[in-house]
Amino acid sequence: MGAPQTLTRPLAERVAGLPEVVEHTDSPAIPQAVIDAAVQALADGKTHYTDRPGILGLRKWVTEYLQQRFNVALTPNDVTITCGATEARFVTIKRLVKAGEKILCPGDAITIAGAAHLVGTMIVRQANDPAGIRLLYITPHDSFDMLHPFLELATQYGWWIAYDLADAPSDLTFHPAQNLALASKVVSMGSLSHIMPGWRVGWMAGSEMADKLRAYKQSMTICTTSVSQWAGMGVVDK
Amino acid sequence: MTLLNPNIPESVRAVAADGTQLRYALMELSAQYKDAIALGRGDPDLATPPHIISAVQDAIRQQRTALTPVAGMTELRQALAKKFQLENGLSVEADNIMLTTGGQEGLFLLMQTLLDPGDEVLVPDPRYTSYDEAIESAGAKMVMIPTDHDDAFNLRPEAVEAAITPKTKALLIVTPSNPTGGIVTEERLREIAKIAIQHNLIVISDEIYEKFVYDGWKHFSIGSLPGMEERTITLNGFSKTYAMTGFRCGFVAAPKNFVQAMTKVKAVTTGPVATISQWAGLAALTGSQEPIREFHRIYSERRQVMMDGLLDMGLSFSEPRGAFFLWTDCSSVGMHSTELSYLLLKEAQVLIFPGTGFGENWGGYLRISILQTTDLLKEALVRMRPVLEKYRAISG
Repeated sequence: MGAPQTLTRPLAERVAGLPEVVEHTDSPAIPQAVIDAAVQALADGKTHYTDRPGILGLRKWVTEYLQQRFNVALTPNDVTITCGATEARFVTIKRLVKAGEKILCPGDAITIAGAAHLVGTMIVRQANDPAGIRLLYITPHDSFDMLHPFLELATQYGWWIAYDLADAPSDLTFHPAQNLALASKVVSMGSLSHIMPGWRVGWMAGSEMADKLRAYKQSMTICTTSVSQWAGMGVVDK
Repeated sequence: MTLLNPNIPESVRAVAADGTQLRYALMELSAQYKDAIALGRGDPDLATPPHIISAVQDAIRQQRTALTPVAGMTELRQALAKKFQLENGLSVEADNIMLTTGGQEGLFLLMQTLLDPGDEVLVPDPRYTSYDEAIESAGAKMVMIPTDHDDAFNLRPEAVEAAITPKTKALLIVTPSNPTGGIVTEERLREIAKIAIQHNLIVISDEIYEKFVYDGWKHFSIGSLPGMEERTITLNGFSKTYAMTGFRCGFVAAPKNFVQAMTKVKAVTTGPVATISQWAGLAALTGSQEPIREFHRIYSERRQVMMDGLLDMGLSFSEPRGAFFLWTDCSSVGMHSTELSYLLLKEAQVLIFPGTGFGENWGGYLRISILQTTDLLKEALVRMRPVLEKYRAISG
């Protein structure tokens, strides 16, 4: 009997059209603080589930980052630690956008194309049908001049906003949640992958749907790898 | 569901109909009780074996933490293929294996890869309700297959066959079972395999508790049977076997085209499993298996303590043949199990999940975990007794 090749039933239609997997196996040198924190966490037996939202220290760091950098005030209860920014992006799209609805992505959509396809949503670059748009996905690389009219439409049409800070430059100061009319609709997301990519630590924070986003993440992966979270403290403590 | 006790907090009452959220609400409530004994969550209290810890520390110190391929590192997939061949009788190679961020993600990914809206999945009842979310997230529908106390919560082939419709695409088998501790015996699995082949069903076999079966019962993998290799998706993980839930490392064995498609889904939903977790998995699999034997001895002893204690309090159960739980009939106490769970937490500081955390029809059951030390289990039994007696007396 040979190894099984093909399932006897067709696969789900949604998997047809998913992008081919692009592997990323390079890594920067991991800072000694991360190594020390991880080795210590292992020695301390931190090898079981963490709290569902993620460890408090890491969530506090996210709130401090958003407060100090952008003057956006959230509490640790608004933050969930995820398996990289990839999970944060997928959970946000899955939970906030229904199949058939549209995501407006004026910039590069490569990081969300697969998630959007899986959920059955369409990515558009222009707001020609604003009533059909459910989510505005933006990154720090989108110019404010380009974003300004879209943010006005977001207010008008009640769109959700995903602000992806995974690749944010260090001098960035703009954040859509600075506009209080939008704040409850903005999900911020980011990761520590630029420092420790193989450890899979990301985060999502904010919006009036924060609890539901967290519940969906829990239904997928329960919590993020414990030792990775403690290792992440080695980065943020510095 | 109407909960009569007005003292039940809104945080529990509001989610009483959602098994998963109910369990989390009770866990959050129990955090308010400093001295609570947690017999709820299925997280082994035992320490991860030291050789696994050392191996991961070595990998970290040597900076072997770069991202792996999305499906997992080759050496671990090869080791898992060998494990499936030797222990489970599956004819698989490394390309049939995929690593997942825990068994729960395995479920999510395989349902996304397999199911279209409108498809039906046969699910044994009671069940771990995370299956609900994974299935419903793919737009498919669960169809319950009843199991019962008198049959030790084994799966009846005739009940499976009776539930099949033209929309049925898959059958979920969970052996040993969470929450019942029942196993699906080899004899029944052979009959169920014939039904699966006859009706062209995919079998999803969740075997995450395979290492913990008791009283001479044997675990059996349905994917090893002739004609099943191309229609079985086997789900498993390191969390329960090696007491390493926090590493979030599960694995799936399936036909190659399915693994390839599932890898694409994983790439856009969570990415690869954390590299350190894969090193932990490799160390677990290739290192000494003595810790599992020791864990088994410990769990067997605890199981006996809990069974004796519950019987002494007049509670009944089907002796669990596997896993970490006693699925306990509490109907003699005379109240809904959600209320009883709340009262046990409030008055005895013992956290136990109600049966409705595992299906809406199980208001007369509790799921009691044995994942505490023997001393704490005995203490929990001492605390529970007066509460049960009090409410039994009130209910007459």
